[in-house]
Amino acid sequence: MIRALLFSTLLIQLLFGYNYDDLVLKAQSSIFPKIMLLDKKVQNKLIDNKIIYTIVYDTSDYETALHVKEYINTTFKGYFGKYPYKINLVDFSHLSPNTEASALYVLKSSTDNIKKAADIAFQKGIVSFSYDVNNLKDGLALSLMIEKSTILYLNKKYLHVKNIDFIDSLLSMVKFIDKNSI
Amino acid sequence: MGDNGVKRSIRLFLLVCLAVLQLRAEDLLSSIMTDMKQFNEIATQTKQNEHYQPYIVSVFEAKELEKLGVSTLKEALLLVPGVDMATDNFNNQTPIFRGSNPFAYGQSKLVIDGVLVNNLFFDSYSEYLSMPIEMIKRIEVIRGPGSKVDGINAYAGFINVVTYAEDFEEFESNDKVVFKYGSYDYRMGGFVKNFKSKDFKTHIDFYYQKDNKNISSGPDGLSQGALGPANIALSQSGEAPLWLDEYSLGLDVRYKDFRLKARMLQHKQGSAYGINLTLPQESDRMKLPSYYAELGYMKKIHSFKLDIKAGVKYNAFDSKAKLAPDNLVLGSVVFPDGIYGEHYAKQRVLYQSTYVKYSGVAKHTITIGYKARQTRTIQMSSKLSNLATGDATLVDYTLTRPFFDKDASRDVYTLFFGDEYNVNTKLSILYGINYEQTSYEDAGFEPRVSLVYSKDFKNIFKAIYSCSHRNPSWQEMFTKNNHARVGSTDLKPEKVTSYEFSYIRNFTNESYLQSDVFYLVNKNQIYNSATDPVYRNSAKTDIYGVELEYKGHIFANDKVYANYTYLDGRYSTDGGKKYNLPNVSHHLAKGYYIYSFSGTLSLGSTLKYVSSKDRAKGDARSKVKAYTTVDTSLNYKNRHYNYTVNVSLKNIFDTDVRYPSPQNTYVDDYAQARRTFLLTLKKSF
Repeated sequence: MIRALLFSTLLIQLLFGYNYDDLVLKAQSSIFPKIMLLDKKVQNKLIDNKIIYTIVYDTSDYETALHVKEYINTTFKGYFGKYPYKINLVDFSHLSPNTEASALYVLKSSTDNIKKAADIAFQKGIVSFSYDVNNLKDGLALSLMIEKSTILYLNKKYLHVKNIDFIDSLLSMVKFIDKNSI
Repeated sequence: MGDNGVKRSIRLFLLVCLAVLQLRAEDLLSSIMTDMKQFNEIATQTKQNEHYQPYIVSVFEAKELEKLGVSTLKEALLLVPGVDMATDNFNNQTPIFRGSNPFAYGQSKLVIDGVLVNNLFFDSYSEYLSMPIEMIKRIEVIRGPGSKVDGINAYAGFINVVTYAEDFEEFESNDKVVFKYGSYDYRMGGFVKNFKSKDFKTHIDFYYQKDNKNISSGPDGLSQGALGPANIALSQSGEAPLWLDEYSLGLDVRYKDFRLKARMLQHKQGSAYGINLTLPQESDRMKLPSYYAELGYMKKIHSFKLDIKAGVKYNAFDSKAKLAPDNLVLGSVVFPDGIYGEHYAKQRVLYQSTYVKYSGVAKHTITIGYKARQTRTIQMSSKLSNLATGDATLVDYTLTRPFFDKDASRDVYTLFFGDEYNVNTKLSILYGINYEQTSYEDAGFEPRVSLVYSKDFKNIFKAIYSCSHRNPSWQEMFTKNNHARVGSTDLKPEKVTSYEFSYIRNFTNESYLQSDVFYLVNKNQIYNSATDPVYRNSAKTDIYGVELEYKGHIFANDKVYANYTYLDGRYSTDGGKKYNLPNVSHHLAKGYYIYSFSGTLSLGSTLKYVSSKDRAKGDARSKVKAYTTVDTSLNYKNRHYNYTVNVSLKNIFDTDVRYPSPQNTYVDDYAQARRTFLLTLKKSF
């Protein structure tokens, strides 16, 4: 009975839940752009000499995406390190392999949408950041959680991707995670 | 330049490039680490990582409660798992945690921005329960003997109210003004204002509120012979004056490593059900003013963190009321115009504490410190109608028949040692010991061990063993010449040993299910009764139970919170036969639901169920009835002009809610408010 209750609660969460934690959003908005710069091949991802940081959101989460954009702009004031950046907000339905992106920040959505975003990021050879750590099992690369302390999670699959090469010091900071451990 | 020279130059250039890259990477990593550290601190302070804390804690964000129409601290606390509310003839309300001694005060502690505000007279904080929710940022409630603040011993529960004085970089709070109007002609106005310059940060909050609440009550305690069989016929029923008239000014100033916290609360309320259990007049009143100022200095030096505080606190019990009706007979004296009384006792607390945290040993954070408190009665007066002639005119009995010991004093010294040992990334152990000595009976050594094991993000386990105590309150020690309460300085501290286990299942960042099992062994419980008004360490109770708490959501744009508590136990007096726990609900279920139609409009509802309560041994009355209350609230937020309008209807089914009265007092218990409405207007800047 308890298992059934837990299962249905979990199912409901996965089906409908697009609530966000403000502190987690802010932590991710502060830290993810810096992690992107720790990719030794970041220069290969510039578009017109700019970093295009693309936030992918479900239609109902437009306000959240906008909130993240504003927070990043307040924090970084136009530059990720020495690189100028531009933030694009893209609805899942408009996301395609042609979408301009140096990195994706993926908010919550259905499994199909998450997989779609992960596949596109993988094909393009760019880093994909996830709001929800559970979505790493669907192929996104990195996430951040506030547990007892702030923890970075990296999908093991991205250790040997041709176009992404994080510096060793970052790899010693993250917790590796794979499909089976989520 | 030859080939070798060119090669050398290229090598050198590459080395420089690598060095620059390495330097930039190191800067970035250092910046990420700093960010992570900052978010760790915020998460720890705001209890974002509550599930990893070494105690059982529930956190309520006031902004979410505002959407539900929750109006005061008391209403918020009623949502906490395992918490019920009790009152007495003064309407001195107190939250009861997990059924622990419903007629005692001080088993829980209230801290506002780190300052303990329980008053000295009752050791309660009833005067703060009416604090408007708009003045509060967050409420953290620890159940069980744990405590967030070093040197403060919670016995059954610890409430930490965080105001908008809390300040984090990039998480600044808005200034605001708020107005409220509701049933019983309730009116409230207040504001929150923050000033910030390079070194100074100042926070001010202010509110004024009043109502004219009177609730039909009775028959009063005379019907049960509270003032002798000769006066039973004088018993009355009528409107108990439960009105409120208060204002509060809070101030928080930070300058570099110094912080000054001060608050002045001028609380005045109706005399409720009467000091002597006789229904008072509408204008009769009791004042419970509370003033405090605390200066703190906090400094980090390498691996040391120093925290020094010194403060002063004033409280008073100030009553002016008609204590008995016309034609009362006491012995051979008749009081044709009744008995009037004015009672005043003012107390002062001086305290100083020093704590040092040391994190220089790998995996350990060691805390050591002390707290010294000197408590005194600094003023007392006692005036009554002439007890010899029956004339109603007041006579000064301060010296001849004081209601309180005018020389009452108590010094308390507490030593604390604790160590948080992070064994590995999954397991942490907190262990420590408190030692307390007082000028009366000592509590002695009290150990505490807490284990937190996080198997992974989704599964967290806790096991807690702790001992704590509650020193007798001053009314339990120093009250004199009173028909209902007589103090004793021979009282020992109430003691509790608790065993708690908790399992938390996290579903996502925002949703979890927590289950707790607890077993509490209580000794030296302090009780008195109408037939034996002297306070004595007369009872032992064993309490056990289960708590379930869920937070999450069902659909997009909604929030659900629900909890259920089952508790039971045994109660015995003076080592005698064991009985069911008196005046305790075995089942408590609370919850709320908020549905947001859009970013601006939301509908919220709260539900509370409190099961029936057994009476004490020898009390022939039927059980205190179970009740369910439902509140609902509509919230509109205008983002353009930044104002909020909230309309709420409370107890929409007009349920009869009663808090239990002791035997031989108000036979029909203490009736509470029925259906009410509230309108709130808030403007943020």
